[in-house]
Amino acid sequence: MNRMIFVNLPVSDLAVATDFYTGLGFDLNAAFSDADCSCVVVSDTICVMLLTRARFADFVVGAVGDASTATTSINCLSTQSRQEVDDLHHRALAHGGKPWKDLMEQGPMYGHSFTDPDGHVWEVLHMDLAAA
Amino acid sequence: MSRQIFVNLPVADVPASAAFYEGLGFGRNEQFSTDQAVSIVVSDSITLILLERDYFATFTPKPVGEPRKTTSVTVALSAESRGEVDDLAERAMQTGASTANPPQDHGFMYGRSFFDLDGHQVELVWMDTAAMPLP
Repeated sequence: MNRMIFVNLPVSDLAVATDFYTGLGFDLNAAFSDADCSCVVVSDTICVMLLTRARFADFVVGAVGDASTATTSINCLSTQSRQEVDDLHHRALAHGGKPWKDLMEQGPMYGHSFTDPDGHVWEVLHMDLAAA
Repeated sequence: MSRQIFVNLPVADVPASAAFYEGLGFGRNEQFSTDQAVSIVVSDSITLILLERDYFATFTPKPVGEPRKTTSVTVALSAESRGEVDDLAERAMQTGASTANPPQDHGFMYGRSFFDLDGHQVELVWMDTAAMPLP
């Protein structure tokens, strides 16, 4: 089996965060979701686990950080096309996300970015490998 | 092509952090590596990008987080077996990581976690999904 990644993020309102990620077009894995956690399936190897801040605190040693005041990670997802970049950005803003940086267009790369409702930063990127 | 994820993390010492993740057995993508950022290939679909903190700061208008003080994200990677969980955790410990949480053993699921050189929390998880209890 290919290695999987679970990006675990603390969220202040699980319903709001879940609506945001499902609004991007991703499904939930009900078997790994409960009242304190939503498992968002980005692909067969990538999951985003949204945990209430209280639940997230059970898994960490120190204090739970606040992504809206400091940035500790930036997660970037590849897309199939420029259109998908635009589409995900549009959906993000329509479902409670906030703008982050300006559209990035650099040679074969086309990317946009946004934050989720808790301030976790996401980039969506298309790379035209044929033109690279 | 299936979707890829690039997890960008700020690090204090790029060569040291790159050596740490390479020590876990992951490769480096030279094409996407510079003095300021190293691309660590975990799998076809998973890449860690280790960015020097000042360089990372150019990608955010906010202060760069201090993972040793507060945790805003943890990254879990699946393993093929309990043995691989132990192997990766032991390698991490031998090359400068520290234990985050005690090992979690639920029979069908086994996990260990560590803090990397910068305090980013990484978890290693093996799951026997066939033996997983139904919710």
